[in-house]
Amino acid sequence: MRIAVPRMGNLPLIVEDLARRFDLDYIETPPFNLQTVELGAALAPEFACLPLKAVLGSFVQVLDLGADTLVMGGGHGPCRFGFYGEVQKRILDRMGREFRMIILDPPSASLSVFFHGIREVIPRQRVGGAAVLRELSAAMAKAIVFDEMEKWALACRGLAREAGSVDAALDESRRLLAPAMSRREVRKARREILEVFDAVAVERERPHLSVGLVGEIFVVLEPYFNFEVDTWLGRRGAVVERSCCISDTIYPGGRNPVFGHSDRRVARAAAPFLTHEVGGDGLLTVGAAVLFARRGFDAVVHLLPFTCMPEVIAKGVLSRVSSEMDMPVLSLSIDEQTGRAGVQTRLEALLDLAWSNRAGTQSESFSEDFTPRPSILTRGSGGVTREGL
Amino acid sequence: MRVGIPRALLFHHYGECWLEFLETLGIEPVITEDTSGETITVGATRADNETCLPVKVFSGHLLQLKDRVDAVLVPRVVRQEPGKCACPKFMGLPDLARSLDPELPPILSPRMDLGDRRSLWAREWYGVARALGGRRTSSAVAVARLLRALSPLEEPPPARPRHSDVVIGVAGHLYNVFDGRVSLDMLERIRRLGAEPVTLDQVPLEHARRHADTLSRKIFWGFESRLAGTVLHWSRTASVSGILFVTSFACGPGSIVGALLEDQLEREGSVPLMTVTLDEHSAEAGLVTRLEAFTDMLRHRSRTTADVTKGSDPFVTSAVHPGGSG
Repeated sequence: MRIAVPRMGNLPLIVEDLARRFDLDYIETPPFNLQTVELGAALAPEFACLPLKAVLGSFVQVLDLGADTLVMGGGHGPCRFGFYGEVQKRILDRMGREFRMIILDPPSASLSVFFHGIREVIPRQRVGGAAVLRELSAAMAKAIVFDEMEKWALACRGLAREAGSVDAALDESRRLLAPAMSRREVRKARREILEVFDAVAVERERPHLSVGLVGEIFVVLEPYFNFEVDTWLGRRGAVVERSCCISDTIYPGGRNPVFGHSDRRVARAAAPFLTHEVGGDGLLTVGAAVLFARRGFDAVVHLLPFTCMPEVIAKGVLSRVSSEMDMPVLSLSIDEQTGRAGVQTRLEALLDLAWSNRAGTQSESFSEDFTPRPSILTRGSGGVTREGL
Repeated sequence: MRVGIPRALLFHHYGECWLEFLETLGIEPVITEDTSGETITVGATRADNETCLPVKVFSGHLLQLKDRVDAVLVPRVVRQEPGKCACPKFMGLPDLARSLDPELPPILSPRMDLGDRRSLWAREWYGVARALGGRRTSSAVAVARLLRALSPLEEPPPARPRHSDVVIGVAGHLYNVFDGRVSLDMLERIRRLGAEPVTLDQVPLEHARRHADTLSRKIFWGFESRLAGTVLHWSRTASVSGILFVTSFACGPGSIVGALLEDQLEREGSVPLMTVTLDEHSAEAGLVTRLEAFTDMLRHRSRTTADVTKGSDPFVTSAVHPGGSG
């Protein structure tokens, strides 16, 4: 049984760790490239969203590399993601591929179904129940550190004295964390990683913009599809923070240890604009944008796959958040046709707008120059003084 | 006090109940006119460009109410069936409506969760009734009438006699199929071609449920589950000659369920299936040509199969399968 799991942000690192813990025969899904996307788009239903197409394409590629068991996440709606596995299974089956698809439903649906799914991947004969729980808990702790160090990197990349020093620290941290297995080793590695980041020279006094990154988890985390917006913004001197990451999504109880705001707090923040769960990351997107605005962030970038149902609602609602909380929000919908230049031009416009807001230019004509057309920016806030820094 | 209801989306499912509720309170409901070309244009320009056609149509209707009413009723439908969920758009619809235009009248959004205990969500309707100026008793009566009006919707409707040799099962959201402008008068056009359309609401829920349960993974959207179950029922019992799957551009559940049904029906060797995708640019000529071709094909097919295999099940030999969106 050679297992393959779709790629998304840090997921390959987490899965590699799990494979080592449970001694699984695991094959890494190749990174996304143009061919993956074209393969997926050709096979998938026309109006399906980008993650389905991208993951389908990479499944085809990894089956070619010799995988025979595909592990996919499930769900119980209302986001389409819960049905990805089934649709992909049917399409690959129709192509005449020989494989087994295991769809792991989240524990929130039913704990027994979740453990049944896990037991399909990790056979009962090889690993006992207590060991599974212990190892999963240690793997969870490790996944949190993987996400935390990315958070730290995004926070200090824009202020680093030397270009590339943060990326070097991130690589070093990943190397330090990789061998940690028990919770104690993870804690020790985390302390060492903190020292690594402390050693990075940052200029805290440098004037900078703070940009929040919200949206659908796949496009927010996968660098191929978001054109590395997070590092790009960092290199332009912006301090970036993301709303979602893998460990927050799978962490039981909705505490969101990396983002630092629990699901309840996020829902309360979103309540004036969006009062009900809409599936996927919709509520988190709105709540996080409000929280970013309250913390005085200069702008929010909202990434969504084209026609993503929860995020389209969030996009509509964010236009109201933007005007009422007076913070520019740029919604970028991403599909297989999106180009890097288009994304970067809009981000540049957003940064210019945020700087002009920061400069407090109240001259009417100037702010109008910097208010991009509504089709590009969900809604710009025109010429308002913002205190701070 | 005038309360408006946009004639769009779930009004086509629950409109009767909502009207019953308002009328019991003695409030004059203002329902928008049937969808017109202008409604769609206004909706498509004002609503977010990525939303699906029905939501754009809804936005068009909502904006018509802007200066005409004191409040708009946009219930938040969370579940249409126990154990299933609704499309995310229905859950976020009131919030989406509020963001559409800051000058809209207040939007009343009581929750309607047919999968939850009624006492829990009926309380929100009671609150709305009180806010609309109803007295305690009349508010309670209005809520009770609303709940009572809901019950017949869940009963299986009586079967109707068939008038034509070619029966086409039209599988699509009721708010698309029953809206003459959105569906470009699809049902009437089918009738004019000498065929008889049957819609989802003419098939008992229990049939739909039984067939939907045979799928390898449960569909979690309530309405789509019913839609898939009905299509499988039509196909497996051969009670229709062909199935027309009607979806709208950017319909999320539709994109998945459509792919699933095409695959499942092809595996089972079903009656022919044609997919029609509606959007705000749909033109009549394109639809008419395809409907004509489809009915001609069905008629030709029923004639040839009747000639060749007399007595045996004609649907086993099905080779014609336009599938796709062709």
